[in-house]
Amino acid sequence: MTLMKLPEAPLTSFVRYLLPGFLASLFLLTGCGGSGGNDRTIVYNCAANTAEIAALKPAQEKFFARTGIHVKLNPFSGEEKLYAMIAAGQAPDVFYTNNAVRDRLAAEGRLLDLRPFAEQDPVWAKLRPEVKAAAVSADGGIYSLGNWTHTCGVYYDRAAFAAAGLKPPAADWTWADFRAAAQALTRDDNGDGKPERYGAFIPAHFIEALEQMNHAPIAHDGLFLAIPPEAREAYAAYLELIRAGVMPDIRRVQALGMQAAQMLQSGRVAMLFEAVPHTGLIETLTNDWAVAPLPRFGAKEPRYFRSASGGLSLSATVENPADAWRALVWLISEAEPYQPSPVLAAVPFVTAWEEKYPRLRGRGFREVWELSEQHPGGDPRYFVRFASWSMGPVMTRFQPWLDRLWSGDATIDQVVAAVPGINAEVRRDLERQLQSSALRPAWKAALEKALAEAQP
Amino acid sequence: MNGLSHGSAPARVLRIGTLYLVLLGLGALFATPVAWMLSSSLHTLPDVFAQPYRWLPAVLQWENYVRAVTILPVPLFLWNTIVITVPVMAATALSSALVAYGFARFRFPGRDLLFSLCLATMMLPGQVTMIPLYILFARLGWVDTYLPLIVPALFGSPFYIFLLRQFFLTIPKDSEEAALIDGASRLRIWWSIILPQARPALATVLIFTFIGTWNDFFGPLLYLNSPEKATLTLGLNLMKTQVLGSGVVEWNVLMAGSLLVLLPNVVLFFLAQQHFIKGISMGASK
Repeated sequence: MTLMKLPEAPLTSFVRYLLPGFLASLFLLTGCGGSGGNDRTIVYNCAANTAEIAALKPAQEKFFARTGIHVKLNPFSGEEKLYAMIAAGQAPDVFYTNNAVRDRLAAEGRLLDLRPFAEQDPVWAKLRPEVKAAAVSADGGIYSLGNWTHTCGVYYDRAAFAAAGLKPPAADWTWADFRAAAQALTRDDNGDGKPERYGAFIPAHFIEALEQMNHAPIAHDGLFLAIPPEAREAYAAYLELIRAGVMPDIRRVQALGMQAAQMLQSGRVAMLFEAVPHTGLIETLTNDWAVAPLPRFGAKEPRYFRSASGGLSLSATVENPADAWRALVWLISEAEPYQPSPVLAAVPFVTAWEEKYPRLRGRGFREVWELSEQHPGGDPRYFVRFASWSMGPVMTRFQPWLDRLWSGDATIDQVVAAVPGINAEVRRDLERQLQSSALRPAWKAALEKALAEAQP
Repeated sequence: MNGLSHGSAPARVLRIGTLYLVLLGLGALFATPVAWMLSSSLHTLPDVFAQPYRWLPAVLQWENYVRAVTILPVPLFLWNTIVITVPVMAATALSSALVAYGFARFRFPGRDLLFSLCLATMMLPGQVTMIPLYILFARLGWVDTYLPLIVPALFGSPFYIFLLRQFFLTIPKDSEEAALIDGASRLRIWWSIILPQARPALATVLIFTFIGTWNDFFGPLLYLNSPEKATLTLGLNLMKTQVLGSGVVEWNVLMAGSLLVLLPNVVLFFLAQQHFIKGISMGASK
């Protein structure tokens, strides 16, 4: 047997040079972090892009010069990360929550009740009524302050309307007018059954706006699912658009990953339901667009979509609540990148937005906004419609039915027939939730009361 | 003997031709998303979703690439990614090889049970361990540093331990026994005899680790908070909600950026293709 000659002490070299080098690198890396030890630092979890980060920087510096509070941005956020941070006792001081997430966290004692601050700070009195209403949770606490309000409208391509010989939508146009326009605007020039341009597109998450316009009774904070006749009519009207080929199949749109602005910009659709104002649409559309109010259902009085849901919350573990509150108020009402503030009643919203975006003038924005203030229907969306306890249990079971409905795999009658079963399971879930030791007493009492009073 | 060599010449040609056609078809299928990325990266934004889609735009928008590398601090993000990827590659390969050597060569009570436990950890979904790990690293004060992304690599990866153990089992023991007679320690044997012979397997481990770490999004998202510490994948995410601001994605620029991030993977694959394929096939044999 020939014995292998071993190389010259490679292991020694490894141990002598490489391993210490590696460990030294790790040691150096350990130093790459930390908040810098400023105890007046408020960490703001904000899914900002680089443009927003850059815009906020001078504002942060000015705020620091004025208050001595350093607002540190954490732009890498997400729900999983937020929960991990909370579980580790390292929650960011200020972060965004929608109503459902807010109430879930508040019920577990994860959020600071802002009532003591709101009672003393004049900013509370300056907030728009819907912002104040949305801020109050089921136990009477205030766990977030809204940072945005909006309505919903029909963005449309004016040139397409003109080319089709249609007049621009009137303020009181009806679903029948909308339907006829969608038909006239749909173009299938090569006759292959796949239109080059669809007349309209209504994202599925706006179906509630249609239900509301059709006067479906929407119980905010309801525990159980209900599909009243008015909602069924809205579903039927929505499905008819797809079946008639004047609206693209939702699955196809989802598969394409297309966004609202791109659909209208690229001429794939001539009318689009979207939020008003929608900065993305305002900044990117280059074609001749305008926005109209949502169409009314027959002679029914309109109930326009108005949302002030979602806002900024403070962690219950925040070290300096007064500073965090001050930072929160600054973010929602003063920070330059977010001006004009959409949540302060004294701000002339339409005028301020037209000044910021001159292209809004003459495009229907003012009319849509003012109509929505004259006929506010509130926010009918699911995470507002259902109590924070039941939104998850309801939607987990209801959403698959809706998906099947929009894709033609289920009928409205089948969906309606599924409701009692869904509600029975929701009740079981809620009763289980009552056993949770994480539920704070005030919330537990509120849930017990709601369950006792609820009629599924 | 290969099954394809059976039969008459025309039949063999037909079989090979069919095989090639199927492979080409599958290759085209898998390459289509990348082709779309490339094509979209050269379009204007409105043309990205134009119908019918034009694979070759009338005017190639090369400035999308310029824009992709200028709107973000790409050199910084690139450096951050390298700072994480290189130590992770080295640590994963060495630690996995060391553990695999132990499982392949040493006899001790409970070895097979330990090996099974090691493999069983592969079945734990990341979501299960995410919060406990985050709490651990938070208590250590490692959040917003690169340590949570690098240090776990020092403890081996079960899949690579399995892969390398299988490979080590195929290496004859003669030279190890000779080295033992010569007085070499087990660690010396691992370093001087086993590792040099395991280059194809190690290359596979390094390539897989590189791809996994380079493309990792969730780990950096979870543990990093400061924008100046972002990796390329986090940077791409910033770009996703960026460019035009207000949630509108400039898909053409995002695709250009994504292709640039993807490029090192592609280059590495072609450079190390031989090792890559060898490594894959060796894991299946004993």
